[in-house]
Amino acid sequence: MAADAEPIDPSPAAGAPIDEVEALRRLSQSEDLSAQYYAAWWLGRMRSQNPEALRLLCQALGQRQPRQAEAGVEANAVARNAARALGKLGQAGAIPHLLQALDDPDDGLREAAARSLGELRASAAVEPLCSRLASGPTVAGAPQPKSSRLQEPCEAMLEALGDIGRSEAQVLAVIESFVTHERPLIHSAACRALLQLTGDSRWGEQLLALLEHPQLQVRRAALMDLGAAGWRPALEPIRRTLAENSLKLMALRGLVENGDSAAGAGAARLDDDTTALLAVMDDLL
Amino acid sequence: MPSPPPAAAEPSELIEALRQADSPMGLLLATRRLAEACHPGAAPSLVEVLGFNNPGAAVAAVDGLIALGEQAVEPLLDNLDGHNYGARAWAVRALAGIGDVRGLELLESALACDIGPSVRRAAARGLGQLRLNALPLDQQASVRQRCLDALLAGGGDGEWVVRYAVAVALEHLLLSIDRAQPGHHSGLRALQQLAAETGEDTPVVRLRSELALARLAGQTEH
Repeated sequence: MAADAEPIDPSPAAGAPIDEVEALRRLSQSEDLSAQYYAAWWLGRMRSQNPEALRLLCQALGQRQPRQAEAGVEANAVARNAARALGKLGQAGAIPHLLQALDDPDDGLREAAARSLGELRASAAVEPLCSRLASGPTVAGAPQPKSSRLQEPCEAMLEALGDIGRSEAQVLAVIESFVTHERPLIHSAACRALLQLTGDSRWGEQLLALLEHPQLQVRRAALMDLGAAGWRPALEPIRRTLAENSLKLMALRGLVENGDSAAGAGAARLDDDTTALLAVMDDLL
Repeated sequence: MPSPPPAAAEPSELIEALRQADSPMGLLLATRRLAEACHPGAAPSLVEVLGFNNPGAAVAAVDGLIALGEQAVEPLLDNLDGHNYGARAWAVRALAGIGDVRGLELLESALACDIGPSVRRAAARGLGQLRLNALPLDQQASVRQRCLDALLAGGGDGEWVVRYAVAVALEHLLLSIDRAQPGHHSGLRALQQLAAETGEDTPVVRLRSELALARLAGQTEH
């Protein structure tokens, strides 16, 4: 998973704090795009449970606007933010709308939709995600002309497949074809999904090897991927890898919350294994 | 530990090697060597390394600064980078590790209002481990109260990792506050809130707070 050293909310630039009523008002108007953009982010961040939020975000998912490179605005910025927010609301009602966005020509929007479908554990997304990836690393995973982006947002799509959790043979076969992708971030995403779906330690071992990659960005990605998979044998290598403590702490949180002992009772307990993990986290604060 | 060999007057060669480093790995190794020299003259250069966006080298520099102890406090306080929260996080981490009471004000304001979660996190941890034994008893009590107040407020931070650090710090701090003191009770109440599903939505924070409460309860039995 691509990871910044530390996410900082955009709130200072956006002015005074707002409440839900104000966020809904801003999202429902269409003159001021930056107000809509912020409102969509806000509703996701606050995990709004207001039915109006779901309705307005699904509506915003249909909004289109050109990229304004000079102003630093991405294409379809409001729709992309709406897609991200819908993943955080945790409401299945968003799934049909996000599936539709998965067919959009804008790969940035497809990327946001894929991530949110993963967060929503949407089984209905497995088939369309697999069919978009089926052409493999040389087609779906090939770079777009004059761009560093790939034909498909492979990283997000692979991660979504891992999060959704369906481990049929044909799903695994599609993901496995990306293990050999030349970009280490795609390789990492494929290993993460396979580790989540199969628990097979050979995928974990490959992620450990990426923790020693010369590029910091790759080590960060491997950290996030090990955390998402909750693979506890990674504890010591995570502690040792050369990366920011913030990233290590996020990865170790994943080991605690997604790890083996968490699976049984539905929540992690304070057994010896978990206590040892917490001790390593304490040292990184 | 055997006493280190008498150091050269100034660690200038090692600092020069640090300046010449032209790769991330070279910088890491040069920082490690400078840190191991454990020379007070190295402190400003080690502080500088904290801003280089090289986590491996920063870890080595923090270790070196903590080893220098109180000799590193002024260089750290004087050179805090207002524009680079990554660098501030490492600097606050070093101050937390040293535990010198001169860092108190900085730790308080960092936990209360720094924009970087990693800075607030390191500050929270530091507020739980100031070394106060050299102070008169009444001053110890007032410093502990200030640490406690800052941590109680930090328990409401929006970032899970800051609340996690608050739980860790409260555990340490409460071990040194008498159970009969009202502060002990308010600290325990804050931990109970961080351990409860109603008060805290991040499982790892609840677990860490639960562990802190169990340890504090175990301590009172003895």
